[in-house]
Amino acid sequence: MRTIDTRGQQCPVPIIATKKALKETKTGEAFKVLADSLTTLNNLTRFLKDNKTEFSVEESAGVWTLTIKKGAGDFVQAEADDYFIPHFSRGEFVVAFTSDKMGTGDDELGNLLMVNFIKAIKELDVLPAKMVFYNRGIMLGKDDSHVIEHLREIEKMGVKLLLCATCVNFYSLAEKIHIGTLSNMYEIAQTMASATNVIKP
Amino acid sequence: MKIDLLQMVEVGGCSAKIPPEQLEEILKYLPLPEDPNILVDIDTHDDAGVYKVNDDLALVFTTDFFPPVCSDPYEFGQIAAANSISDVYAMGGRPVIALNIMMFPASKMPLEAYIDILRGGADMAATAGVRIIGGHTIDDNPPKYGLAVIGYVHPRRIITNAGARPGDSMILTKPVGTGVILAGQRLKMASEKDITEAKRIMKLLNNSGAEVMKKYDIRGATDVTGFGLAGHALKMAKASNVSITLNVKRVPLIGKTYDLVDQGCIPGAAFRNLEYAEPDTRFASDLDYNLKMIAFDAQTSGGLLICVPNDSKDKVISGLKKAGLDNSSIIGSVNDYEDRFLYLNN
Repeated sequence: MRTIDTRGQQCPVPIIATKKALKETKTGEAFKVLADSLTTLNNLTRFLKDNKTEFSVEESAGVWTLTIKKGAGDFVQAEADDYFIPHFSRGEFVVAFTSDKMGTGDDELGNLLMVNFIKAIKELDVLPAKMVFYNRGIMLGKDDSHVIEHLREIEKMGVKLLLCATCVNFYSLAEKIHIGTLSNMYEIAQTMASATNVIKP
Repeated sequence: MKIDLLQMVEVGGCSAKIPPEQLEEILKYLPLPEDPNILVDIDTHDDAGVYKVNDDLALVFTTDFFPPVCSDPYEFGQIAAANSISDVYAMGGRPVIALNIMMFPASKMPLEAYIDILRGGADMAATAGVRIIGGHTIDDNPPKYGLAVIGYVHPRRIITNAGARPGDSMILTKPVGTGVILAGQRLKMASEKDITEAKRIMKLLNNSGAEVMKKYDIRGATDVTGFGLAGHALKMAKASNVSITLNVKRVPLIGKTYDLVDQGCIPGAAFRNLEYAEPDTRFASDLDYNLKMIAFDAQTSGGLLICVPNDSKDKVISGLKKAGLDNSSIIGSVNDYEDRFLYLNN
């Protein structure tokens, strides 16, 4: 059985190591955590109880051994990826992506400009309310797109991403897009009509 | 040689407070002085004591000091001073004079660090219009710094923990997460960007928020420090004999605080604060665990938590935003006492 030794380590290191092990362990499997401080033991048991994780504790010569079993229900709460961070202020404007390239001209330059544009959005003082993607714009949302990480981050910041469902079907990309919400033309038109400004890179 | 204060500490800032339930136990053994001029004492767990001089003037008196929260001595001085002065603002007062409180390992650290800490404190005090008129230093490791501050307040315009009224909205003026980000910094998990943002937040004086409170005649507020957002809300609820509901998803966070907590980066102080609050708190059954722990994260030089009557909440929010406190948000509400003092909902 896998054993994580937190002896000599201070909070929150033991929790970090335990959480990581929980994520890596398969449902139904168990692992051990060694702890030599009462604070660590208390914090760990607290953490496990609050997350409804099954465990047992044994003590011998000042070292506690926790045997932790990963259950099916562990960590069903919102993962960081699903959670929107309400820290960023959002405006009333909308960004419309009609192509995977920025401007017309050299393709390589167009790609580069688009990366920079999307990165720049993250740094704006006021974020867009929504971003819509249609026609070749939806290519940006593909799992292997070179801007996908930035888009995921923007989505986490609370910006809603709407992707044109017709376009996704037309390009047969349903299997390759896992970001944002698929949307219809009515919603896209409504979104653009109610925006204070629509920015088209 | 570049001095790194964080090399010398295990817990920094307000995380270094002793656990709240232990403090309550100790305070039981201390007699509360009786004097009609004492307007606010530790009975309501307020940020500072208030002593009436005459019908138009009372003194707000407070102290706070702690080990380093950042590497740079000058910045540490700034943050410690902003944090100490904050208690006066939270009580509706105007800070006037202060004394330095310093512990410094003179044999272990170059004296320039000592000077830089004091310089940071002096500059922050000057920004707040506070005159530092003396101080005291003890040789001790790790270094610790803060101020004892005196401010003026009108005896009938004191803002306290006991001023929350059913129907009020709770407004928070700064994002939370300093304890998490500082722990993440020590473990090299926090980004430079977030560390810089956390330091900016900690250096931000609560004076502009206090001005808005005065303008709208607020009676209930506190500043969020070592007991965490939820811990301080609980203290208010108890002092005011009301129930306070916090909506944890509405609480603004510093940068990637949530992701750090999701990775298990939960400082020990959050567990201590949770333990203290638990008997008086009802947790929603679907409460997000990470947000729950963030609500108990010990803050250093945190924002003001203000109780605002419902009809002026929009004006107060826009006043705070105009004063540059962009993150100001309504994060909860005050109700008649029922069953528990504190309710944590998503």
